[in-house]
Amino acid sequence: MSEEKKGHISRRSFVKALTASGGLLAASSWANAVPLRFFNPQNIENPLAQYPDRDWEKIYRNIFAHDSSFVFLCAPNDTHNCLLKAYVKNGVVTRIGPSYGYGKATDLYGNQSSHRWDPRICQKGLALVRRFYGDRRVKAPMIRRGFKEWADAGFPRDPVTGSPDAKYFQRGKDKWLRADWQQAYDYSAKAFENIARHYSGDQGEHYLHKQGYDPAMIEALEKSGTQTIKLRGGMAFLGATRIFGLYRFANMLALMDSKIRNVDSTKAVGARGWDSYSWHTDLPPGHPMVTGSQTNDFDLFAAERSKLLLVWGMNWITTKMPDSHWMTEARLKGTKTVAITVEYSATASKADDVVVIRPGTDPAFALGLAQQIISKKIYDKEFVETKTDLPFLVRLDTLKPLRPEEFMAEFKEPDLQSMKFLKKGEKPLPGTEQRDQFAAESMKDDFKSLVVFDRKTKKLRAVSRDEYGTHFKGVEPDLGYRGSVKLLDGKTVKVRSIFNLTEEYLNENMTPEKVELITGAPAKAIVSLAKEIAANKEHTLFACGMGPNQFFNADLKDRAIFLVAALTRNVGFPGGNVGSYAGNYRAALIGGEPVYAAEDPFNPQLSKGGKVKVGKYSHYESLHYYNYGDRPLRVGDKLFTGSGHMPVPTKAMWLNNSNSVIGNVKWHYDVVHNTLPKIEFIAYSDWWWTGSCEYADIVFACDSWAEFKHPDMCGSCTNPFLQLYPETPMPRVFDTKADIEIIAGVSKSLAKVTGESRMTDMWKFVYENNTHEYLQRIIDASFTLKGYNIHDLEKKAKEGIPALMNNRTYPRVSSYEQAKSEMPWHTKSGRLEFYRHEPEFIEHGENMVIYREPVDSTPYEPNVIVAQGHEAIRPKAPKDYGLSDSDTSVETRQVRNVVKTAEELVQSKHPLKMKLYTHVYHTPKYRHGAHTTPVDTDMNAVWFGPFGDVYRHDKRMPAVVEGYVDINPLDAKAMGIEDGDYVYIDADPSDRPYRNWKKGTEEYKISRLMLRARYYPGTPRGIARTWHNMYGATFGSVKGQETRPDGLAKSAETNYQAMYRSGSHQSATRAWLRPTLMTETLVHKTMFGQGLEKGFASDIHCPVGAPREAFVKITKAEGGGLGGQGRWRPASLGFRPTYENQAMKEYLKGRFMKGKG
Amino acid sequence: MARVKNWQINREMDYPYNESRPKKQWSIIFDLNKCIACQTCSLACKTTWTSGKGQEYMFWNNVETKPYGSYPLAWDVKILEQLGQQAWKAKEPYYGKTIFEAAKPTEVVAHFHPKDEDWMYPNVGEDDCAGNVPHGDHITLPHDKWFFYLPRTCAHCTYPACLASCPRKAIYKREEDGIVLIDQSRCKGYGECVRACPYKKSMYNTHTRVSEKCIGCFPAVEQGLQPMCVQNCIGKIRIMGFVNPPWKMRKNNPIDYLIHDQQIALPYYPQLGLEPNIYYIPPIHADRAYLTQMFGPNVDQAIERYKKLKDDPVTQGLLVLMGSTDRIMHSFDVKDGIAYGFDEKGDEVVRVPVTEPFIERTAYDANLKSLRNNTP
Repeated sequence: MSEEKKGHISRRSFVKALTASGGLLAASSWANAVPLRFFNPQNIENPLAQYPDRDWEKIYRNIFAHDSSFVFLCAPNDTHNCLLKAYVKNGVVTRIGPSYGYGKATDLYGNQSSHRWDPRICQKGLALVRRFYGDRRVKAPMIRRGFKEWADAGFPRDPVTGSPDAKYFQRGKDKWLRADWQQAYDYSAKAFENIARHYSGDQGEHYLHKQGYDPAMIEALEKSGTQTIKLRGGMAFLGATRIFGLYRFANMLALMDSKIRNVDSTKAVGARGWDSYSWHTDLPPGHPMVTGSQTNDFDLFAAERSKLLLVWGMNWITTKMPDSHWMTEARLKGTKTVAITVEYSATASKADDVVVIRPGTDPAFALGLAQQIISKKIYDKEFVETKTDLPFLVRLDTLKPLRPEEFMAEFKEPDLQSMKFLKKGEKPLPGTEQRDQFAAESMKDDFKSLVVFDRKTKKLRAVSRDEYGTHFKGVEPDLGYRGSVKLLDGKTVKVRSIFNLTEEYLNENMTPEKVELITGAPAKAIVSLAKEIAANKEHTLFACGMGPNQFFNADLKDRAIFLVAALTRNVGFPGGNVGSYAGNYRAALIGGEPVYAAEDPFNPQLSKGGKVKVGKYSHYESLHYYNYGDRPLRVGDKLFTGSGHMPVPTKAMWLNNSNSVIGNVKWHYDVVHNTLPKIEFIAYSDWWWTGSCEYADIVFACDSWAEFKHPDMCGSCTNPFLQLYPETPMPRVFDTKADIEIIAGVSKSLAKVTGESRMTDMWKFVYENNTHEYLQRIIDASFTLKGYNIHDLEKKAKEGIPALMNNRTYPRVSSYEQAKSEMPWHTKSGRLEFYRHEPEFIEHGENMVIYREPVDSTPYEPNVIVAQGHEAIRPKAPKDYGLSDSDTSVETRQVRNVVKTAEELVQSKHPLKMKLYTHVYHTPKYRHGAHTTPVDTDMNAVWFGPFGDVYRHDKRMPAVVEGYVDINPLDAKAMGIEDGDYVYIDADPSDRPYRNWKKGTEEYKISRLMLRARYYPGTPRGIARTWHNMYGATFGSVKGQETRPDGLAKSAETNYQAMYRSGSHQSATRAWLRPTLMTETLVHKTMFGQGLEKGFASDIHCPVGAPREAFVKITKAEGGGLGGQGRWRPASLGFRPTYENQAMKEYLKGRFMKGKG
Repeated sequence: MARVKNWQINREMDYPYNESRPKKQWSIIFDLNKCIACQTCSLACKTTWTSGKGQEYMFWNNVETKPYGSYPLAWDVKILEQLGQQAWKAKEPYYGKTIFEAAKPTEVVAHFHPKDEDWMYPNVGEDDCAGNVPHGDHITLPHDKWFFYLPRTCAHCTYPACLASCPRKAIYKREEDGIVLIDQSRCKGYGECVRACPYKKSMYNTHTRVSEKCIGCFPAVEQGLQPMCVQNCIGKIRIMGFVNPPWKMRKNNPIDYLIHDQQIALPYYPQLGLEPNIYYIPPIHADRAYLTQMFGPNVDQAIERYKKLKDDPVTQGLLVLMGSTDRIMHSFDVKDGIAYGFDEKGDEVVRVPVTEPFIERTAYDANLKSLRNNTP
């Protein structure tokens, strides 16, 4: 090669030139200031072939080398849980990696997982290396100054209302003081005791009335102030001892109640436990309505057993990252993948077919499929007849099922074999031995026989709960039956089969054309997909996500999807089933949990290996009432919250492992400005200073996962592993303690304050550093784990190896026993139920599976029932509740039963449409955070969307990344919004961002949502989206942005770092309460074991909220260019959608390479 | 200029140095049908190698959404612009110009120099699709609205532009594994490699004032381990091994098998002339003209073959073997539904079933007195 041609003067030729021109003197004087090696050129002929001195390479080998490593469990609320390996150098964790131990997991029977499970990790886990030592660690127990002053003053209160002075409660604006541990425990214990005492008895009731609480809530308190204390372990399944520990603590507080009210153990009640899974809007509320059990699902690796995989409202590849390969590998092996989605999503890019529908119209889409399957008669007759309630007859006069006793003289209910009834006081078998379903004898009537018309005998025939699946023999039920029956009381009533009623509804309302009108999905997509599902019996998996679950009509979505699955024989098979994937909930897999969480505090077991007495003293309630303003649903002249669901006033709360209840709560700013001021003590246990800590009174500093000194265990609803959090050798970086030590510490202080030593006894094995004892007790009582030894499990976890859960099958498949006819479903009829005859459902027109519009996220009239006149849809009208027909305000909308046809619906308008509100605004989760973990960690944060910039060239940026809203470019252009502009998003002004907001106040300033707009061609017009995962603005973050020299939206007091300049994605939605989720009548399985119960059950039957419901106005705030000047750079340069320069246009069309030969 | 053999464009081309192939050539194959853009690779690389001062903006490994994503901004649009419109027929040599051949007389390669600000939004374009979705839709293969994810490391090219352009000859290719390194002790930070690399995988460190780039994780590779970005890939889309030129291909080498035997893995922007050693199994859903521009004219054949994998148990086996071990696999085998990977000595390092077994346990374990059911 010639140097001249290369065009540069190389070092060699430069030196040569110097010598040749006699410049040596000048050069050598220069050389005095420069290392000699510059003049000692290497002779490298061809660096492709050889290089002389490679000793320098050792710098990279040194960086890579480590002194030691250890394993810890990373388990945010992401449904995965991964044992990760930390590499340590000079005593510091320098990097993290996967354990590659998932292919070594075994069960009790010699089965083993394969290395296809490896590696399990993600970018969020890797970023923890910056987090263990991060500046937002909670570094020591902290106490808010005003709270401390209130406590030090002896908890003074207003003599009339009983409330403390607001001067002590400037949460979010106050100073924080570092406490020592004993102080933190003592202040907490004193506050709990004081509040419980203050709100107990008649005096307590009196104050609560003065403070304006709903009388029904005060009544539910039953004069026990202890119940005003609320505890919540954040996704408790993630920690069998430390997170469930707060529920154990709640139960233990019955001891305090007993002291305060001077009552014995039969009358004492504990503090209240808040729900978790249902509160996160993760519970698919229609699953218990169809199957009776909390959730039907399957381990995600079952994907490869399907031939058709429907990924429905689930952004699988962004939210189930370590399990994404099961989907992509199934696809390469021949499984057809179909994404049903509201945009061209990440997961759409991995699907063969994509169906884009309007958000929240999923029930209609599913009903459209069902209509095709029924009208084309391509359903599975055998499955429908033997495993569903569709053949049963309904009386049209009452809309109740026809019962044999009503028309058959001398009919006697058979003694059921499929379940047992427990007499009053009779205890069920231990959870590990519950081979039969059971219920209290008082519920016997719920399980009475039903009736079909038998085509063989041409007669009506009684069918008992025992006659399910293969046990239903010798009958040919007439699915299309309609006729009349003469009852024993002489009345003749019309009856129709559920199938027949459903068929009529579908044919009249859910034809492909009408479904296209409602959902926007082309009719041909519905026709072809229905055909494919029916052609893949036992081999179609419905993997449903959080998307459709976060709308008000979520239960209808579940019921409709199950209908499609049941019609096509796709429930309970390894390759054909329905699953719902939101949250990590299946605590029932660790079925022995009650021996710990509900151990009788009056009789704690203090001996190792001793038998535990379970005694449940605490009630649970839905957390949704709290973020609804600490109110039940009372609209018009009716209270819609059932008595079993009734919350009590919230006066103190303690949460761990969760940023969701304040920091990322639905309707966050309403909670902050309207609800928190009524609460007198807020404690948080966390290892990262979250938005929730911002508004607390005491923050306990916890160990990070890498610092665990007490082992714990957890599992997941999406994979088959039992995961141990092993104890680690990493020294604590700060003054932190284990969650469970903190609970034990507060308990010990409470024992002192109350003089009740059993509060100390309850945590005996924690003080003795033997949490293993509690874990082993739970294992021994768990049907999936019995046979394991905690020490063996922990040893393996330290090597990065989890254990397998010992369920019936690998992969775990819900409804497996039912599909095999080994056991009925946990319903009244023992079958999959598509007709709900309980009064609450009939009242709201939801006895049949029907479609309702979203309650706010719609351009049309919200919450309308779509139906032509149907004789079985007879809901109560607004006037029945004393409401006006035209009242569509948000509160009344929740109970509004107005029926319209599909054509009428699309002619109607959202009440805000006239006021320039234009967009449905939804807030799904995304790949860069597991909730908010660890979105604010720089290396991870800069990837979160298009605006990440580690140097913050634009100093307006709140952090190295910031929140944004995705809008279709055509909409944005029409609204005068450029790509990258800052915009305001405002939802219904009647109550958002919070009730009684006022322009010009500091509260409003921090609450109004301002963020970047991004042109996003994949989202349909009229739909806008912001990811759920970012940290919202607080008083401290806004002050930080205004006062810090660097302009970061970071609190100078706490280091809290917001990713919005103001507001958050929770500014636009609110809390929603749905009447049919607050019934006293729905029968379902209990959380643990095989019991059946009725009405409220935390995480099974209670409100779930609807956080994707918001209809908004979007207005430009500032330009997107640096400092607000001009356009955002990538747009101005022509590399953004609709701004393409000529080269970009050519590039997009592939014109730089003509390839076809 | 020397004349060197570039098999990817199936002809000889100009290059500043003589052809000299290493004993083994480091290579990664990425199955883009599996990439989920989780950025675990990016963080694995970042936390291991570039967490220091001056490296804040640096991601030796990144994943960008195509077509609107790019890091640095519009790197590929700009290099393609340098070459202008070219043509290439399937099965034929590429007769258009490489960046070495298209260079101005005073330059080594046709190039562009990214501005500092071009590096500032590493994930610009994330999930932005080509084509607008204004309302409900039914999209089938190939998708008329589309994007896909493109993970990128240094390609440790056979004919690196960085190496060719370095005036100090401080960039070299390791003879034992073909990894291309910038000598951190000799580099003076002239930035020629940053300008020259068309893939923009050389980066300048303002703190150390020298350039740096992906080192192929040679300290791991020397121990028989795959690089960090591969070990951490949860999409299981990557396999690192050693690629042979086609005339030396070995069918049981997983890399050769996918590139040469099955021809489903293709180099990216091969027309630039660097013989890059990262290869991609193209996404089956994206626009073919665009994919041809990126992967050359054989992309159609590769996609059609991928779509027929359901009838090919051997390739299925290899594709599920990907990511199942942190060790480098030098050879593989698939027999009776089990895929095996072997190290250089031929010892088995991993085996996995092509489909996980379905296990049914006893409904009631009488010994342990415990139920084993599915619906608790």
